Amino acid sequence: MNLKDKKILVTGGGGFLGSHLVQRLLGRGVSRELIIVPRAGDCDLRIRENCESIVQGVDVVIHAAGTTGNTEFHRDHPAEIFYDNLTMGVELMEAARVAGVEKFVTIGSATEYPENAPLPFREENLWIGFPEPLHAPYTIAKKMLLVQAQAYRAQYGFNAIHLLLTNMYGPGNEAKGGFVITNMINRMLAAKDTGQAVVEAWGTGVPTRDFLYVEDAAEGIVLAAEKYDKPDPVNLGSGWEISIKELTETISHLTGFGGEIRWDVSKPDGQMRRMLDTRKAERELGFRAGTSFEDGLRKTVEWHKSRRSGESVS
Amino acid sequence: MHNLKGKKILVTGGAGFLGQHVVRALIARGVQKENILVPCFPELDLRRRADCDQAVKGRDVVIHLAATVGGIGYNQAKPGELFYNNAAMGVYMIDASYKANVRKFLGLGTICSYPKFTPVPFKEEDLWNGYPEETNAPYGLAKKMLLVQAQAYRKQYNMNAITLFPVNLYGPGDNFDPVSSHVIPALIRKTAEAKREGRNFIEVWGTGKATREFLYAEDAAEGIVLAAEKYDKPDPVNLGSGKEISIKEAIETICRLMNFHGEIRWDTTKPDGQPRRFLDVSRAEKEFGFRAKTGFEEGLQKTIDWYRSQYAG
Repeated sequence: MNLKDKKILVTGGGGFLGSHLVQRLLGRGVSRELIIVPRAGDCDLRIRENCESIVQGVDVVIHAAGTTGNTEFHRDHPAEIFYDNLTMGVELMEAARVAGVEKFVTIGSATEYPENAPLPFREENLWIGFPEPLHAPYTIAKKMLLVQAQAYRAQYGFNAIHLLLTNMYGPGNEAKGGFVITNMINRMLAAKDTGQAVVEAWGTGVPTRDFLYVEDAAEGIVLAAEKYDKPDPVNLGSGWEISIKELTETISHLTGFGGEIRWDVSKPDGQMRRMLDTRKAERELGFRAGTSFEDGLRKTVEWHKSRRSGESVS
Repeated sequence: MHNLKGKKILVTGGAGFLGQHVVRALIARGVQKENILVPCFPELDLRRRADCDQAVKGRDVVIHLAATVGGIGYNQAKPGELFYNNAAMGVYMIDASYKANVRKFLGLGTICSYPKFTPVPFKEEDLWNGYPEETNAPYGLAKKMLLVQAQAYRKQYNMNAITLFPVNLYGPGDNFDPVSSHVIPALIRKTAEAKREGRNFIEVWGTGKATREFLYAEDAAEGIVLAAEKYDKPDPVNLGSGKEISIKEAIETICRLMNFHGEIRWDTTKPDGQPRRFLDVSRAEKEFGFRAKTGFEEGLQKTIDWYRSQYAG
């Protein structure tokens, strides 16, 4: 599908991933006025009528909106997280189907995988067990969009797809706490500014994660919107993993902090390894994450640096 | 223990097959008829948030039985509707009940929520260990969301929401529609039609090898009311008869009870559905003292009698 001249709704388009998605679409030649980005304040997508009116005349929907947050937020708000994500997704897809939308892309998450899934996570193992309990209300609500997409394809021939994204990082992530890379960059930059010699990090540093540069993630999603029309979910990941320790040391180097990293082993490590198998995305979409971790991290650190100096001026 | 007498109770789906039995069981407990609200479609469309808010207003207890359901053929033809209707009704009913300060919410899942290859007998702990049988997955998963939401609402709001997972139900008042009926009424109907038309054979879907567990609707209603009175925990509870029977055995019993001696032709081009279904029912007995009391033949006979009184004239 050629996206140029399509009217495209990007929910969550004002967020971290969403703003990069909009940039990618513009880069594909989609004109600004054909990209619709609803704002949570004036378009509550949990309300069916709002979904119905926002999809009018839309050709493609990329549903990147979601209610999520850091560990504490997930612990304290499971009910709201479940309700918001399920109602938004279910009503938006239903409204899109009724309105005759050509393609519907739902953005899911690597946390949809069961805790017992073998590494690297492969799409066919998505249902073999229960996901990590803390995030289950979020991940299960998101996973229902896959079920809905498959059911709508079977009954209505509706072209809905589901993508599973790993942890993202990059410029523009202002999330308050919780996201390990953003968090660590901010703390090391702050430590450097104040001459603090030690930064504390949670756990042992041994667990590994894969991280996808947000611009690569946006490219993968746009490729899927253009090329992928099948019921089965597709992973979007970087294809490599890095230990939290190595990650932290790299950030220390790039931020110029260089002080001591003190591991607080009384804090939990979380899942020991998490990494997506990315072969299907390569096969089906020709997608490979193009940004090296070093490059991506450097750009991210630069963004945080400029933001800090901007803040200190104002 | 909640004494239901004097409580204002909403029974969604209360005009349906199971719902009628639940309403009767509530009345038998001493609940006044005027305290039982049964919302009716299309005056109240429970897929709409505002209609759910209206339905739960002033209610002490909500028993959410409303569902879009059907047999294998219906599940294959309408997966989108089955998903949307059940997911929307469930997510709005629980949230509306919470916002309206409902004291107890009972949601009804389905055996279709279990993974396709669950070790028999199915234990509640196995609910998440695999994908449901493909033909009923959208329905089974949408219904399983009642459990996820109930647990999330209990955790965040301390809401008393529970979830039961019943097996295939049968009994008087069941849906005998040729398009959307489940296996027992479908087989009774086919047998009655063959007899009426003087045919000496009936056609039945699949191989007959699949097994099922059937719960008489009156027993199911008793289990639901017991759980409403006595069970206040987040963990799901199976509701079944504890007896496994093959489709072949079930149809042979129906033929015998209906005095049909013709041939059973198995249409093996049609799907069997899930290979085996048989629940571990010990939790329901332990937690709220529920045991199904109606034997399969006895229940079938009553169902056949009812069908004849309704359709055969």
